[in-house]
Amino acid sequence: MPPDNDPAAQAGNNSSDFVRKLYKMLEDPSYNSVVRWSAEGDSFVVLENEKFTKTILPKHFKHSNFASFVRQLNKYDFHKVRHNEESGDTPYGRDAWEFRHPEFRADRKDNLDNIRRKAPAPRKPAQAEDAFPASQQIVVLSESLAATQHQIQALQEQYFELAQTNKVLVNEVVSLQKMVRAQSQVSSELITHLNNIEDRRRNSRHSAHSSHSSHSGPSYHAANLGLLPDGADEPAAELRRAREILNGVSPDSQADRELERLSVAYHQNGSPSDSASSSIMFPQQQQQQQQQQQQQSSGPMSLVHDPLNDPRHMVYPVGQTTGIDPFHSDHIHNIPYSRPLSNPNVMAESSQISPPSKDQVGSIWGGKKPQILLVEDDKTCARIGSKFLSNVDCVVDTARNGLEAVDKLNHDSERFDLIFMDIIMPQLDGVSATAMIRMVAPRIPIIAMTSNIRQEDIQTYFQFGMNDVLAKPFTRDGMVRILKKHLSYMLKDPQSQGLTSDDANQAVGAPGPGPPAAQGYANAPSGMTIATMASGAQVKFEQTPIQSPATTASWHSPGQMQQTSPNLDSGGYMSAQIGSGPGGMVLTPGGSQRPQYTNQVASHVGTPTLNRMPDGMVGLDDRPEKRQRLYGPSQGQGAYVQ
Amino acid sequence: MVDFGDHVDDATFSQILEMDEDSHDFSMPLVSNFFEQADETFEQMDAAVESKDLSELSKLGHFLKGSSATLGFTKIKDNCQIIQQYGSNLNVDGSAEPDEDVCLRRIKDALAAVKVDKAELEKKMKKFFELEK
Repeated sequence: MPPDNDPAAQAGNNSSDFVRKLYKMLEDPSYNSVVRWSAEGDSFVVLENEKFTKTILPKHFKHSNFASFVRQLNKYDFHKVRHNEESGDTPYGRDAWEFRHPEFRADRKDNLDNIRRKAPAPRKPAQAEDAFPASQQIVVLSESLAATQHQIQALQEQYFELAQTNKVLVNEVVSLQKMVRAQSQVSSELITHLNNIEDRRRNSRHSAHSSHSSHSGPSYHAANLGLLPDGADEPAAELRRAREILNGVSPDSQADRELERLSVAYHQNGSPSDSASSSIMFPQQQQQQQQQQQQQSSGPMSLVHDPLNDPRHMVYPVGQTTGIDPFHSDHIHNIPYSRPLSNPNVMAESSQISPPSKDQVGSIWGGKKPQILLVEDDKTCARIGSKFLSNVDCVVDTARNGLEAVDKLNHDSERFDLIFMDIIMPQLDGVSATAMIRMVAPRIPIIAMTSNIRQEDIQTYFQFGMNDVLAKPFTRDGMVRILKKHLSYMLKDPQSQGLTSDDANQAVGAPGPGPPAAQGYANAPSGMTIATMASGAQVKFEQTPIQSPATTASWHSPGQMQQTSPNLDSGGYMSAQIGSGPGGMVLTPGGSQRPQYTNQVASHVGTPTLNRMPDGMVGLDDRPEKRQRLYGPSQGQGAYVQ
Repeated sequence: MVDFGDHVDDATFSQILEMDEDSHDFSMPLVSNFFEQADETFEQMDAAVESKDLSELSKLGHFLKGSSATLGFTKIKDNCQIIQQYGSNLNVDGSAEPDEDVCLRRIKDALAAVKVDKAELEKKMKKFFELEK
């Protein structure tokens, strides 16, 4: 048998060799400051990682690789003792490594043979995880997600800081180089000058013997005038040396070029720095010249590129589905949606000019009349809203506050096709109610009714699972518009009812953005009109008229995000339903449901959300111009309280 | 037709009237209910002014603002807005008004005004529904 050089195999043959070496190493008191037993003698601590790796490891283990030392330890079932770094509870300092094995003790040298190499055990953490309740898994997942996000953010900040520092340093070095160049220029000028003086001095002194000395240089004199080696010759030699040193320094080293490249990259403003630097890579020579010019004129053009303020540099390393909190204010405030108050007059006019008569709108629905829940604490508003809705042939039920609404949904989550939800209500506000309703009815369109149409507020509504906003005071036409948009699948004839393809496009993003639309395409019969095709999410439901969310497993309503809702402390109220109700389907992250959760997150990150933003504001357009006055932006509506 | 002047936003109110099927079977009770509701709210507001409860005033202002706006009763709505704003320690332009006494004084003014508005409008509405009957 050939000698076995594999350390792992060696360890396997002689199980306690490594452990003995380890023990022996710890017996040496001279290592105390680097590696030693802990006070209790039940673990050992590597205090100075670097010293340990460089000096002690080679002596005892014939290598200087700390990582493989740790690997060995792990193979023998040693475990790193973790200290809570957050609380600063690190008795041996931040960089110390403490290892422990239950059998490995300072006072039990006889016990070393009991420490054996672990049998390579098959990993089964996945199964262990499955034993977790599903909800706990979500908690764990979202916690680790949050932790990862924090890490990424911290890394990003660090990266930007480093990049910033690097930029400063490169600029500094470049300016130092310029200074050095100037200095050497000055030096060489001085040397020339001194040479001339020297020459003149010699000429004046020795003009008698050497008339041609002026063009043969100081060396000529030095050689010629052997008489005065210490006096007249010395300065000339120094000058010569100085010149040699100056000439010996080559300003065109590779490092200089790299540096210049960097400096130019930093100064090239307006284009992302990565593309700038990559373009510089290729034509080195040509670029050199440009750089020279740019550097000379770099003063005015150095509007230094600031990566922190450039959203393009917000790199999301783990793809769009994970690693980002889509609701983080950074992203939310970057969503480019314009306030839809641009043409309120047009809207108001059209609603004025043609008030649809009852028979015109009375039968817009196909088979079944939509069942609408109107949640509104104000009697007058509720009556008017109900009237408007029943006027367009909807069956209306009302709830006087969020709690009543949740109660109704809890009782029968499939009864309603759409919910209009006031925001500020006694008992339970509309946003919290939505969050709770989402647990049993993840897909039902929930429309916020509010006079509070500030961008942040609207964002909050969407965030907590609402699908659209109807501005208060609401109008009949505003309500009809919402109905047509979100219940287009129930319309008798979407096109003749004035649901333009524009509207239909908007509708795609509304109740189930992203994936469901794609699903709808797949299911759509070939004869579908473009308008209905476009509203793919709704098309689906023509084939499943019962509209049970449980049977439409692919539906990803934003409402599912309610798991993160802070208002769910009262969620126990609904919890009895979760297991058996249709909501349970969605909340169960096990099995095939899990990927949908991420899909659904993706739909928030992706463009459908962006589409949804302006779309959600459409209802606001419907208000007659006059009523805009008080809420109008000109009066600084941002500060109006709801 | 009675001229409501700047009391009513015609576009909004006519939407309500459109909902009537037989005479004013919908709008008339709605309007008279609103006036009852307004009276109740005014009483509560008076009590809140008495106890200097600004946040209650803000809530009440918001409440009555909602229904008056939905009916198109502009003047009432505007004064409710003022009550709501000052109840939240804010001026009408949205800037902070930390002085509670100032807020309370403004609320008192707005409350007095809104009561007048309501009385005037109620008269006009009565006349309107009488004529239309």
